[in-house]
Amino acid sequence: MNQAEPVISITDLRMRYGDRFVLNGIDLQVHPGQIIGYIGPNGAGKSTTVKIMLGLVEGYSGDVHIFGQNIAEAGPEYKRRIGYVPEVAELYDTLTALEYLSFVGQLYGMNAGDAEFRSLHLAEILGIKDAFNSRISSFSKGMRQKVMLISSLLHNPDILFLDEPLSGLDANSVMVVKEILELLSSQGKTIFYSSHIMDVVEKISSRIILLHDGRIAADGSFDELKEKSLESSLENIFTQLTGFDQHRELAERFVAVVNEVGE
Amino acid sequence: MKEFRTLKLLDRFRTPLEKMGIQYPQLRLILQIKLTMDGRRPPTIAAHKKDSDNLFISSLWLYGLVGLVLIPFVLMEGNDLFKMSIVFSVIFFMVSTSLISDFSAVLLDIRDKSLLLSRPVHARTMNMAKVIHILVYMTLVTAALTLPSLLASLFKQGPAFFLIYLVEIIWLDFLVITLTALLYFLILRFFNGETLKDMINYVQIGLTVVITVGYQLVFRLFSFSSLSLSFEPAWWQYLLPPVWFAGPYEMLLNRQVTGHYLAFTLLALIVPIVSLVIYIRLMPLFEHHLQKLAEQGEAGKRRLVTLQNIIGRWICGNKDEAVFFHFASVMMSREREFKLKVYPSLGLSLIIPFIFILTSLSTGNSLAEISSGRSYLFIYFCGAMIPTVVMMLKYSGNYKGSWIFQAIPLKDMNDIYKGTLKAFLSRLFIPLYLFEAVVFVSVFGTRIIPDLIAVLLSLFLYTYISYKLLGRNMPFAEPFQKVQGGGTTAKLFGMMVVLGLFAGIHVIASRMDYGTYLFIVILFALNYLVWRRGFAGRVEQTLNSGL
Repeated sequence: MNQAEPVISITDLRMRYGDRFVLNGIDLQVHPGQIIGYIGPNGAGKSTTVKIMLGLVEGYSGDVHIFGQNIAEAGPEYKRRIGYVPEVAELYDTLTALEYLSFVGQLYGMNAGDAEFRSLHLAEILGIKDAFNSRISSFSKGMRQKVMLISSLLHNPDILFLDEPLSGLDANSVMVVKEILELLSSQGKTIFYSSHIMDVVEKISSRIILLHDGRIAADGSFDELKEKSLESSLENIFTQLTGFDQHRELAERFVAVVNEVGE
Repeated sequence: MKEFRTLKLLDRFRTPLEKMGIQYPQLRLILQIKLTMDGRRPPTIAAHKKDSDNLFISSLWLYGLVGLVLIPFVLMEGNDLFKMSIVFSVIFFMVSTSLISDFSAVLLDIRDKSLLLSRPVHARTMNMAKVIHILVYMTLVTAALTLPSLLASLFKQGPAFFLIYLVEIIWLDFLVITLTALLYFLILRFFNGETLKDMINYVQIGLTVVITVGYQLVFRLFSFSSLSLSFEPAWWQYLLPPVWFAGPYEMLLNRQVTGHYLAFTLLALIVPIVSLVIYIRLMPLFEHHLQKLAEQGEAGKRRLVTLQNIIGRWICGNKDEAVFFHFASVMMSREREFKLKVYPSLGLSLIIPFIFILTSLSTGNSLAEISSGRSYLFIYFCGAMIPTVVMMLKYSGNYKGSWIFQAIPLKDMNDIYKGTLKAFLSRLFIPLYLFEAVVFVSVFGTRIIPDLIAVLLSLFLYTYISYKLLGRNMPFAEPFQKVQGGGTTAKLFGMMVVLGLFAGIHVIASRMDYGTYLFIVILFALNYLVWRRGFAGRVEQTLNSGL
């Protein structure tokens, strides 16, 4: 793909549920090889944007182009080149990991044998090979998350949408996954990374987009944001841009209530 | 993964499906996954079966068994409108309840959207997979249910009868599917997802009760069905869809082309089509409302002082016990899985005493004879479910939450048991017993009131004994999958003997002058003793730590 050609291009995206506006005009161009830290307070419209790009939410206004196609007009074929890890690890958990991954691989158009072979291989690397033929309902949170990660990468996608992909993983697995993301982006894959853990976003993102009240409140590399806001950490930038300055006060009130017992 | 014969059959329709714009390989794959998952989900009708290869397929024979009931009606001579109304009522009831209790999960699955549509799958393909999935299920259930009577009708009533029967069964299925979906739509339109889940829960409980009680009742009912009934068309029959479906028999077989029969036939023909059209029209809106299932329920109204709270403060010895009394009351009334497992046995124990009285009615005793006799002691059977429920108190769908019992600094573990048992008695048992008692007094007269008090006190004591012998486990702390079959049956049988002892002593006491009153005094003293002191003593740690 040409470096100048954006893989994702969003113009004036608006969305409302009932009388509540979730997105108030998003404009965004994303190029191959970027790791985008997509952050914002709860309810800012992060997952709505991702769901629109995946074709899961309809009724928006504005244009969304992915791989140069308008997704409102294109069929579902463009999703063949997308991998997705949703925030809630919803799986068909009466299936075994093997059955689930084989199913997902085949939905992406792989043949069954290929999908099984590749997922077994990936599972072995992530250390869940022993549980591979057990039902997912018996898995721990971290194991489920690994299954989700494998299912999003099985078909070698060009764009990855990850929503809290590290939740439930232990520190060692977190290191592995971070490295995987680095390597993938250096190959020119685009990664859309939503998270509430600012330290991680700060470290792995090449570009940070902060969403607030359905608008883009900041867009740039971490260094650029630092310069602009005169804050030292992404956490502080986040609180500054979302206009939140009561954390100390709320904490004090909370502890005061806690202390009421035993007085 | 397993190959399904259903899918091989589906392969023949590949070309027409693809012409409709369906992605056939994806459709087949989704169905394969869905059928595999069905096999692993225990159906309500056979909820107590252990893991087998395909739980759903192995539950089909139960539908076949229920289907046997239809044979006598089909074979019967006489009023076609009457007998076919009964046949279609049974089919309608069985098919709709099993659709609601076992297939709501399919109609209402909101995972499908994010799991399938985020992949290269067309919404059209996903919806088609849903429709075919439900059709496969309905076909299997309906076939198992109606095959015995279909064959019987072919041999006895001839091909014309058989053919009308077959076509109408299919038509009835369409009606059931669309009506169910429209019902869900209406509920979701006006209420939230929790209401719908509660409703489904109650239908599941109802199905279980009807299946268990059905065995008891059906054969007694045959004495009624042999009566020659005159069943003439009337306006209220327009409200009963099964009667519509009986209409064509009068019209096509008996050549009775009157206004009523014509109207029934037309209704049976047209209503399924109309509701199908409405359903397809509303489908996108339905999908939209489905999102409500994922939403948080609205905050319920919270009453600070409830009756249950007042009772709790009144009957509990200390604060810890009252806390668990309250907790257990809430769990028993809210937790759907617990209700599904326990409420059917409550329903059964409500009905069994009446079944015994009905039986003695049908063996020739008159109602006057019975009401002056001693059959009111059948009310002891009300307590038959106590050991089962006491044993079930340790299970919960949310068993993982039970770590909290260990994490809190509780002075006396016995407060947990005591509070829970008292909650069971006041929340589930006493209301049921009161209802039963009112009916019994209306049959046997006020003279039995002292006896009813004695029975109530006996059953309180019986609850304590059940707990001592079976139930010394942390409440709500184990998953229902752990409910074991074997050894418990013997224990439960032993508890039935204990119940018999109570009834026996009661009979002996009631033969003496003032014996019943003496019995009451003794029971009262014993109850006072065990509920005050009976819980003290060392408690072994029974909570399983390997959560």
